[in-house]
Amino acid sequence: MRTRLARILTTSFVLAVVLLPIYWLVSTSLKSNREITQEGTLYPHVPTLDNYVRLFTEKQFGSYLTNSLVVTFFSVAIALVVGAMGAYAIARFRLPFAMERKVGLFLLTLRIIPPVVILIPVYLLMLSLGLLDSWLGLIATYTAFNVTFCVWMMESFFREIPVELEEAAMVDGDSRFGAFRRITLPLAAPGLAATAIFAVLVTFNEFLFALALTATPRAMTMPRGTATLIGRIDTDWASMAAAGVIGALPIVLFALLVQRHLVRGLTMGAVK
Amino acid sequence: MQIGTQARKYRLQGAGLDLALPYLMLAPGLMIVLGVLVYPLWDGLRASTRAYRYGSPISDVGLQNYVHLWSDAQFLNALWVTVKFVALSVSLEAVLGFALALFCLREFRGIRLLRTVLIIPMVITPVVVAIVFRLIYASDAGMLTALSEAMGGGAVQILGNRLNAFIGLVVLDVWEWTPLMFLILLAGLQSLPHEPFEAARVDGAGAWRVFADLTFPMMRPVLAVAIVLRTIDAFGTFDQVFVLTRGGPGEATRLVSIYGYDTAFKFQQTGYAAALFVTIGLVVLALAFSAIRLLRRIDAS
Repeated sequence: MRTRLARILTTSFVLAVVLLPIYWLVSTSLKSNREITQEGTLYPHVPTLDNYVRLFTEKQFGSYLTNSLVVTFFSVAIALVVGAMGAYAIARFRLPFAMERKVGLFLLTLRIIPPVVILIPVYLLMLSLGLLDSWLGLIATYTAFNVTFCVWMMESFFREIPVELEEAAMVDGDSRFGAFRRITLPLAAPGLAATAIFAVLVTFNEFLFALALTATPRAMTMPRGTATLIGRIDTDWASMAAAGVIGALPIVLFALLVQRHLVRGLTMGAVK
Repeated sequence: MQIGTQARKYRLQGAGLDLALPYLMLAPGLMIVLGVLVYPLWDGLRASTRAYRYGSPISDVGLQNYVHLWSDAQFLNALWVTVKFVALSVSLEAVLGFALALFCLREFRGIRLLRTVLIIPMVITPVVVAIVFRLIYASDAGMLTALSEAMGGGAVQILGNRLNAFIGLVVLDVWEWTPLMFLILLAGLQSLPHEPFEAARVDGAGAWRVFADLTFPMMRPVLAVAIVLRTIDAFGTFDQVFVLTRGGPGEATRLVSIYGYDTAFKFQQTGYAAALFVTIGLVVLALAFSAIRLLRRIDAS
């Protein structure tokens, strides 16, 4: 009985700690700025959707959302295709001088280096290529980041699939690449999904490079666009809260939808 | 056996076009990585040995930028703030995450809800997490002030006060990342073998003995990996600080990433900032490799 009570109390406490800040964000987004600063209410007394409407009519959140979706889609899709092939080569082939293992280790090392280290040179590179403030500049950057961990994650998924299955397919007349495409790739689908989900999360949420590489609604992503609302002197709390909700909603819904794969992707590697 | 597998792998490789296949499969990924990561890395190293004016290199200064870092009081302060931030946040996350994982190990009703809800903080865009906490801390519109006024108190000052702002940042990080710690440690706990625990129960060992003699030692590798992963990640924290405090008040929450960003884009000291970032990269790599070696030792013993 006592342990049950303790359980209920602990669970409610954890739920409250996680959810109260989110409640406050949503509740603020439904208030007017006057209600926020002058009345300090604990819930919206006069709920309004004005803040949301303003984001799309006055603040170009439609563009930010489009940019985010386009950039995330292409950089994850390209990285998945390219990464799956690379991972497969590392997992299955034995090259001279153990080259495939060296490439794998090299990509892992690149993965450990914090991205901030190459912020300046990537900025200079995009500047010289005329790719600042463009989809292409962001897509190229994010694809490269995604490739490093797609290879690393998918390699371990491919290793779990028995070679014998491919050998059987090849005996039946498949080419090497055909065996990869028809047998191994479908079997690795759950792993691919976990990798893709993780890549989507990281890419959609990325801020630092979006901050340095974009400057106008032409290419600004959601996190980058949201940050433009933060003035140094007067702060439009209501818009900021609404922008927070709009900015986080797609990715939270996505994460809850694919929860099982997500947990697998987040925790793998650590436990192995 | 070893030779057998090896021979089979060679045989699998076949002949003709198939011989080129591994290279063809590796090439696209490597090309992207070489162009967008490795070339900039090299370029960054080069930039770090130069002095810049208005974004263009004007002279070679050798290693002067690196030497200068260690007498730059602002850099040293940023490094100290970062170390404090990482140590405090990650240890709190490890303790809380471990406690929560132990608590959730026994299945009970409500646990699925708890696990689902705990996913939210770590998937929310970090920029939005920072907005959430600004809305909590703001002295005029914040939740803390609203609560305090509802109970008859006055405005609560968080982001205007040096110590409070730093603690506020740590609280943000703990809120955001304890769930990840929790998930990793829970997965670790669930993968432990059952037999030792049953034996301990038969022997009548108490809960604390079981934890100290069995659970904790067996969990050490997983715990170490989780802490290393979080530490590397926390070292590069940028978004949350940029939105929450911009490094202030004063330099109280200015992490190395923020200082580096300002050096490059606000003060336009491109070469110096490049040297700073290379130094951070080396620190993190050194950290990672010594952690890996430490882990191997734990595994071996």
